[in-house]
Amino acid sequence: MKRALAAALVLTALPVATLFSASAQKEEVAKVSLKVGDPAPDFTLLSDQWKTVKLSDFKGKKNVFLAVYVLAFTGG
Amino acid sequence: MDSPAANAAFAKQINVKFTLLSDMNKKMLTSYGILKGHDVQGDTYEWAQRANIVIDKNGIVQHIEEGDSAVNPNNALSVCTDLHKKQSAK
Repeated sequence: MKRALAAALVLTALPVATLFSASAQKEEVAKVSLKVGDPAPDFTLLSDQWKTVKLSDFKGKKNVFLAVYVLAFTGG
Repeated sequence: MDSPAANAAFAKQINVKFTLLSDMNKKMLTSYGILKGHDVQGDTYEWAQRANIVIDKNGIVQHIEEGDSAVNPNNALSVCTDLHKKQSAK
């Protein structure tokens, strides 16, 4: 009886493990989830002057142009 | 992903007139979905995709370009100009 119970537990554990590994894989390779027309997620980042800059501070005031520039401060 | 100190040195070097932001904990890159993972021999390396994003005054995304097409900022700039014209006409 104990063996039968153990086998049942393993079987139920397998689909759960598969689900977890599938969601972990999704997170590893992130797709650009944002689309035109979507509300831009708010963020708070540090500027080169060590001041916090919040996207929502510009709401109702200015349009924002974000340029994500990779490895800017390198010789390559 | 550069530090504010590295950005400050870069800003001084090329004399930029705009703010350089630093996303060292990758929160913004993750929430915008522009952080890419690449598996190499069991290790995952992350880097940010190059991207140009225009967000209007209401906080709505109006333009997205990523990868090689985001090297040239002219498309995003013309979106900004058009937005400004539309908003001024209202």
